Amino acid sequence: TEWNVSLWGKRRAFTEHVHKLAELVEEKTDGEFTMNISYGGLSNNRENLDGISIGAFEMAQFCAGYHPDKNRAITVLELPFMGVSTLEEETAVSHAVYDHPAVTEEMAQWNAKMLMTSPMPQYNIVGTGEPRDELADFDGMRVRATGGLGEAFRAVGAVPTSVTSSEAYQAMEGGVVDTVAFAQHAHLSFGTINEADWWTANLNPGTVNCPVVVNIDAYESLSEDERAALDSSVPEAIDHYLANYGELLARWDSVLEERGVEKVMISEEQLAQFEEVGGAPIQQAWIEEMSGQGLPAQELFDLVKSTLNEQRGTN
Amino acid sequence: MAGAAAVLEDDSLLSRLDRRLARAERVLALISGVFAFGLMVLAVVSVTGRNGFNEPLPGYVDWIEAFMPLIAILGISYVQRQGGHIRMDIVVGALRGRALWLAEWITTFLILVLMVALVWGSWAHFDRSFDFGAPMWSRDSSIDIGLPIWPAKLVVPIAFAVMCVRLVLQLWGYGRAFVLGLESPVAVPLVQSAAEIAAAEARQVEGRD
Amino acid sequence: MEPIEIGLWVTGGLLVMVVLGMRVAFAAGLAGLLGLVWIFWVRKDYAAEEFGWALSVAVQTAGQVPHSKVSSQALSLIPTFILIGYLAYYAGLTRALFEAAKRWIAWVPGGLAVSTVFATAGFAAVSGASVATAAVFARIAIPEMLKVGYDKRFAAGVVAAGGTLASLIPPSAILVIYAIIVEQDVGKLLLAGFLPGVFSAFVYGALIIGLALTIRGFGPPVSGFTWRERLVALPPALPIVAVVVIIIFFVYNPFGGDAWGTPTEGGAIGAFIVFCMALWRGMRWGELKDALIETAKLSIMIFSIIWGVLIYVRFLGFAQLPDAFSNWITSLDYPPLLILVCILLAYAVLGMFMDAIGMLLLTLPVVYPAVMALNGGEFVSAEQSAFGMNGTMCAIWFGILVVKMAEFCLITPPIGLNCFVVAGVRPDLSVQDVFRGVTPFFIADAVTISLLVAFPGIVLWLPSLA
Ligand code: NA
Ligand code: NA
Repeated sequence: TEWNVSLWGKRRAFTEHVHKLAELVEEKTDGEFTMNISYGGLSNNRENLDGISIGAFEMAQFCAGYHPDKNRAITVLELPFMGVSTLEEETAVSHAVYDHPAVTEEMAQWNAKMLMTSPMPQYNIVGTGEPRDELADFDGMRVRATGGLGEAFRAVGAVPTSVTSSEAYQAMEGGVVDTVAFAQHAHLSFGTINEADWWTANLNPGTVNCPVVVNIDAYESLSEDERAALDSSVPEAIDHYLANYGELLARWDSVLEERGVEKVMISEEQLAQFEEVGGAPIQQAWIEEMSGQGLPAQELFDLVKSTLNEQRGTN
Repeated sequence: MAGAAAVLEDDSLLSRLDRRLARAERVLALISGVFAFGLMVLAVVSVTGRNGFNEPLPGYVDWIEAFMPLIAILGISYVQRQGGHIRMDIVVGALRGRALWLAEWITTFLILVLMVALVWGSWAHFDRSFDFGAPMWSRDSSIDIGLPIWPAKLVVPIAFAVMCVRLVLQLWGYGRAFVLGLESPVAVPLVQSAAEIAAAEARQVEGRD
Repeated sequence: MEPIEIGLWVTGGLLVMVVLGMRVAFAAGLAGLLGLVWIFWVRKDYAAEEFGWALSVAVQTAGQVPHSKVSSQALSLIPTFILIGYLAYYAGLTRALFEAAKRWIAWVPGGLAVSTVFATAGFAAVSGASVATAAVFARIAIPEMLKVGYDKRFAAGVVAAGGTLASLIPPSAILVIYAIIVEQDVGKLLLAGFLPGVFSAFVYGALIIGLALTIRGFGPPVSGFTWRERLVALPPALPIVAVVVIIIFFVYNPFGGDAWGTPTEGGAIGAFIVFCMALWRGMRWGELKDALIETAKLSIMIFSIIWGVLIYVRFLGFAQLPDAFSNWITSLDYPPLLILVCILLAYAVLGMFMDAIGMLLLTLPVVYPAVMALNGGEFVSAEQSAFGMNGTMCAIWFGILVVKMAEFCLITPPIGLNCFVVAGVRPDLSVQDVFRGVTPFFIADAVTISLLVAFPGIVLWLPSLA
């Protein structure tokens, strides 16, 4: 069996688990089951779910915030100020939500099955010129921030002006946006850190959620061995991802120094203020809106919270 | 470009249908142009808001993306009517009479094959983003202000369907020219030299009246 | 059959359809669609009952492309820049510019033709599209040249060649397309185009003067304008200057600090100013409507090629042809500069058969990474690189070279879009006439390109300041 896998951008920390998965699967099946990983060749990054639904390729990665209406249920994972603080917590929370029937059902509409998440640290923003280290500076700021992050910035007067990650550098360079919110690896991979004068070290408003999915028909037509190889490789692939990302985070400070990017600390008081307007109100609004659309929104929200507590209890 | 449409007209049913469709196509092309103008207005509003009042236009990128299919695709059939899509006419330019109409018929037919397939494919693309049960019928939305994307996606199969009708008329026109062995048939864009001949003939006719 | 073989077969089929005179946009789309069907069907070992599945997947994959690829903020620059060109024409700015150029420079040998070149260069600074520039100057400059006895083919050739300047001198739609494909900074690329564009204009001018001095019966110089007449010709052309300044500030702030916005916004503000001018000059709804329909036609024509070719490129993605090509190029054992020159020559050959935008869209995803690799990679320093420039500068340099090649292709037969446009606007001229008239400019372009290869500084000086 040969699978086509649709990713975008270029190989980076964000896609390492997919490469690891391909490696493991090929190894375990003695080369019977291989994966062909394509960066942007098979689909537009906002249409990977469409491609899965059509059956054009068998596996793909996408981000919930690129098209909230395609994946309402998992947008819970992109709500701001949910209190997730490590990649391990992010992984646990994501997989708990992916296993919820509401998510399974919604993904099944796209002929898709959740395979694993691509856990990402808290998003922080880079910008040029004077650092924006007070909430007042966010007023009228055009920020590339998708999903719930965008909502949080909107709550303090910023204007989310978003493009996909591959277009973010151009948007910043070309003046479409003033600031870009990304995880560290993306600031590196998409070059926004090269353009930046400063980076907010502790804004931590939340993150985005980008699952890897497989086409259900393709998954079901795998042989027993192949399917076992795929399923059993997920935890290993995630471990590899976490280790790799950990290294990146460990050398982050030197990356900033190399590129002459100022590390901006925002005061506790300002952060509290941000969370007050950008946290609970947006979470509540989400629960109300999604409940109105017939989703078990409260249940999903509570699932995130309880998984988080559990995760902290065991560690 | 290709300012003067080299499409001849007469009182036949084919030509009447051609002109009726051409009127509709012109409206679609004008809508394309108006939205190009709208793009300009949008940018002016955005720049003024941002620099004058520190109020960037929310969803600026979302709106642009929603406009683009209207600008870039809606009038496609109008351009086809006028023979405005570029091609290499070194071979067809050398052909005359039946051989020319046959070549035109074949390439036009191939375009029709593509367009019928794309009506299907772009409709499916629209259909995946459309859901009667969902709020605003939307199952696909833009990044910042959550605009439903289905209206913009619907533009494509509509424009391509009109294009299919146009292609059928052109096939009829070329087929008729081939069967009857016409010099200058109606309802199809003529290769420049043939158009010149026809125009010259028309002028002569006028002179004699 | 291997995907790469399918890729080659389908590419051959595409060329046949194009040569037989099928509209390029649709030939590319059909080739891509059929290629997709083939590639999906081969995965099911050509099982008859699976053909329906392969067809459906291919059609739906191709059916995404038109909407998904045109819905782009970056590409919105194209209709904006086209609109500005047509509005300027209807506002009489183009004529004013030509009139001013005529009164100031037409006294040199080959005067009107040289004036046309410099008027197109000036107009290039507000127009982003070569074909739009060629279209408006075909209406204005050719009749004037014919009046004083120029050969009509040469007059048409001057306009077709002059039009190509619009894609180097910023703003430029094609430079934006390049920037998008290779993910480089639009602003720096636009800046980089300025000097090569002006340089090209001077080479054209020198060529015309040379021809005028050697050929008898060439168009006469037009002299006898008083200084008063020359001065009064300036104010009507001034709005062009205003628009140019605004667009520059939106691309790059010469006084330091941030640019005022995006190039698209600059173009839109420029278009708005020209629109107000046109209103003030008494433009009515009828004329505006014409400008809008012309804008729509040209935009749709360009975008059709974009999505058509991208269906084909999507197929190439499934066929893995770009990877194969990239590996092959970088494995060659020749000096990098020689390979680069060969690539440019290949563009000249390809350009004979393809239009500029289609060619760039089709080739860059494959060729650009190879060129960057030749230079030593994206993050190479100037000292360690093959071409003596860092990765960013190499991307800019190659971009300008490729766009100049693409512009060259706009005037080469058999598909030279500018020549088609001039012939389309002037019913008394056939495409063959225009191609014949534009031939001398091939030499000028060859000289320009060689100099840009030999002296990258012409390209890189301005962007290195930004
Ligand atoms: Na220009
Ligand atoms: Na050409």
